[in-house]
Amino acid sequence: MVELINSSWILALLAAIILLLVPTKMKAYTAAFAVVANAIVTSCLAIPALSGQPVSLTFGGGSILGDILIRIDELSAWFILIINFTCITGVFYGTGYLKAYANTAKKLGMHWILFVLFQLSMVWVCMIQHGLVFLIAWEIMSLSSMMLVIFDANNPKTLKAGINYLVQMHISVVFLTIGVVWLYFRTGTFSFDAFTTYFGTNSNIWLFLVFFVGFGLKAGFIPFHSWLPHAHPAAPSHVSGVMSGVIVKLGIYGIFRVASYLRSDYLVLGEILIILSVLTGLYGILNAAVHRDFKRMLAYCTIENIGIIGIGIGTGLIGLGNHMPILYYLGFGGALLHVLNHSLFKSLLFYSAGSVYQQTHTRNMEKLGGLIKSMPRTAVLFLIGAIAIGGMPPFNGFISEFLIYSGLIEGIKLQSMTQIIIMVLSVAGLSVIGGLSIVTFTKTFGTIFLGTPRQPLDHTPHEVSRLMLIPQYIIIIMMLSISIFPQAYLQVVGNILSNLAKGIAVPQPVEFTDYISIMQSINLYSLMFVGVMAVFWGIRTLMLRGRTQTINATWGCGYTAPTSRIQYTGKSFSKSLGKMFNFIVIERKEYQELKAGEIFPATKKYTSHYHDFFEFRLIRPITNRVVYGANYFRFIQNGRVQSYVLYGIVFIIAIFLLTIFNIVL
Amino acid sequence: MLSLLFILLAASFFTGIVVRTKSIASGRKGPGIFQPVKDVVRLFKKGAVYSETSSFVFRIAPTIYFSSVFVAMLIVPFGSSKGLISFNGDFIFFAYVLALGKFFSIIGALDTGSSFEGMGASREALFSMFAEPAFFILMGSLALMTGHTSFQEIFTTLHLGSSITYALGVLAASVFLMIAMIENSRMPIDDPKTHLELTMIHEVMILDNSGFDLGLILTAGYLKFALYGAIIFNLFSGSIAVGYAIPLFFAMQAFLAVVVGIIESFMARSRMNHNAQFIVVLSSVALLIFFGALMVSGKFI
Repeated sequence: MVELINSSWILALLAAIILLLVPTKMKAYTAAFAVVANAIVTSCLAIPALSGQPVSLTFGGGSILGDILIRIDELSAWFILIINFTCITGVFYGTGYLKAYANTAKKLGMHWILFVLFQLSMVWVCMIQHGLVFLIAWEIMSLSSMMLVIFDANNPKTLKAGINYLVQMHISVVFLTIGVVWLYFRTGTFSFDAFTTYFGTNSNIWLFLVFFVGFGLKAGFIPFHSWLPHAHPAAPSHVSGVMSGVIVKLGIYGIFRVASYLRSDYLVLGEILIILSVLTGLYGILNAAVHRDFKRMLAYCTIENIGIIGIGIGTGLIGLGNHMPILYYLGFGGALLHVLNHSLFKSLLFYSAGSVYQQTHTRNMEKLGGLIKSMPRTAVLFLIGAIAIGGMPPFNGFISEFLIYSGLIEGIKLQSMTQIIIMVLSVAGLSVIGGLSIVTFTKTFGTIFLGTPRQPLDHTPHEVSRLMLIPQYIIIIMMLSISIFPQAYLQVVGNILSNLAKGIAVPQPVEFTDYISIMQSINLYSLMFVGVMAVFWGIRTLMLRGRTQTINATWGCGYTAPTSRIQYTGKSFSKSLGKMFNFIVIERKEYQELKAGEIFPATKKYTSHYHDFFEFRLIRPITNRVVYGANYFRFIQNGRVQSYVLYGIVFIIAIFLLTIFNIVL
Repeated sequence: MLSLLFILLAASFFTGIVVRTKSIASGRKGPGIFQPVKDVVRLFKKGAVYSETSSFVFRIAPTIYFSSVFVAMLIVPFGSSKGLISFNGDFIFFAYVLALGKFFSIIGALDTGSSFEGMGASREALFSMFAEPAFFILMGSLALMTGHTSFQEIFTTLHLGSSITYALGVLAASVFLMIAMIENSRMPIDDPKTHLELTMIHEVMILDNSGFDLGLILTAGYLKFALYGAIIFNLFSGSIAVGYAIPLFFAMQAFLAVVVGIIESFMARSRMNHNAQFIVVLSSVALLIFFGALMVSGKFI
């Protein structure tokens, strides 16, 4: 059974070779086949692991690496299944999405090979329990996703976003490497068991924080988030769906993995994490509310959801610190479920947004409007995603947010005043996040799909192909299964958690069973809510039967010549919000004032865009300084072969001398 | 179950009393207190006019909005008798169910493509977002004081400890009343009676709704008032016997309606850009209650 693991990488590599050979038309289907096959193989191992039978396998890694432990435990299994599901929907959606690019055969072949490798590396990141090999898999994942992002490499903006992503991911790898090497030197092994030995005897704070920065860069906690709003809009939609749905979650996986080895200092770390997460959530959603590029908006919204997940993890850590298992179960459990939920509705949103982009060729929502008439199915899909991501019943977002809320509310029963205050403020923060996400998604949905078209488009948009719609329907079925059977999912999560914390044994508390039954009743109440809606809708239909129903122009309040341009825009919808928080969402306007005496003004241009606070105020000044300093060393790279040869000679002499004087051994 | 019945009854006269109070305060006789109900009944009998830009969203939005208020009503308890829906953390469900209704009323307004309705929708989204933390901090403090997390348990155990909780109760009641005013787009935030669309929030959102749909939206507004009235009543009712509680409930609802009427008569609508500050003040009052709760529970150091 365990040997199946091998077929995973063999399959992927075989597929990569076959993909080179098959004709362009077949490439997408071959890739889809490979992704599905790989998903089946790894899921076959993951599903038993989820029910409490972890599998492990050891590869001999020679004298350098030592034994490489491959292990699928409950936590890995959970993430592997999420990855597989999202990758499968992604590959089918992508098949339809990339049909328009059929003339770029070379690019497509490369793209699908990378996609297969991408899935392979993500799955393996979850399985490898050996520091160095983990870093290699992590690196393959980062590189392949970066190459996927720059699919449209002819566009300089895309390329720039890709390079930005590449650089930031390598900063992340630097931190992870520091962490792994640190562990190696203190314990003498690369295996993840080293964590247990290290955390058992040393302070837990610093090493965890090093790993947190490394993984946080991937996950998108502020202030490490600035790659997301660039990379997600630049990537083709199926890639951004998968990236936002799962690659970001692998950062969360890493945090979970390291957190599971913690032995002490839970409280400090929990408090740091929860405060940072609330800020991340608020910052993400605030930016999402003002941006008008809808894929960028979704990227910021991912940051917000990472914040929500982080709040759950922080609550769990505080629970461990206070020996309150229920907090651990609700916090971590909410976080794990939110990982699943977010991977579902965020990929759904990215796919439906991608359908809009494919039909209209613009990501600017101000140019759109009224698409619900030409693309009704996509509109409904987006609407469902929007409701779910706002955490509103009857969809699945409510389940995980409810768990995290419950964790925070249970946390109010703690003894320490600081922690109570943190909990209550987090509850308030979470509620503001919820409120702002309503602003964000009403704005986005309203501007893109409702009203009338704001500008004539180059092509008339049509509903997208069935190949693109079906993956989205499948996602919705999955979402509904969570909202209808939340207790089943919660039970699985409970199993994961009772085996997760290796530091201290945390048995499932009785209260958690109560929450499982609460979940059961919530799903009944949600169904009842739907029922109530249906009943009132029925009454309405009955009452309106036979009455006169006329269709007329929208009431213009006396104005009789309305145009589509006078509709409220996305910008104006969130203008007052942006103004209130202008110290965080920095708006830059470019326009020319009317000159004095300019009687007949010519056509003027006005643009306004929002800058990312951290990028604008923190990262950019630092990089500017670095570039400024680096300028002084430009003479080194002068383009003359002679000087390069000289450097070589200087280097060789230096090595020679240093060895002679025993400075380098 | 009791609460559902009583809220429905209270809703039938609440808005009427508000209107009547305002009339008397401005020296008029005013319509009878059941006039709003009669208005709604008349609307229910009418046909409908739909905007040609609108889609199915516009047609389902009022129904969903109304259902959300209806389901929220099922959650609110009546004294010690539970609501139909009651579990640990039910107030979270309460808030999110109402949020879904709001979500649909906002996109319903955007569906008409009217600039006025877009403006109202934007403001509604913004202001209700600001009111959210006040509600959650308040419920958090009540949970802290009582150690329970469902409406019914919180309210029945609220006053068992000390009488200082009544002082906090008054403060909490005022916050709830203001939340009710915001949710219903009443005076300091919004003026339902103004005829200048630019200053309106909720009223301008429903400009295009007519007939049955408009009736649903108006009814939902009446219910919302009575709903928050019931929550405020619960803050004080504690474990009073049902025999006393029923007259007290209606007296309280009538009293609140008069208070709302008086506020509306003697207070000017704030400037639109001051609204946010006003609502944030609510959150700070809620924080005050929270610190009070910390002190009551002896965890303040």
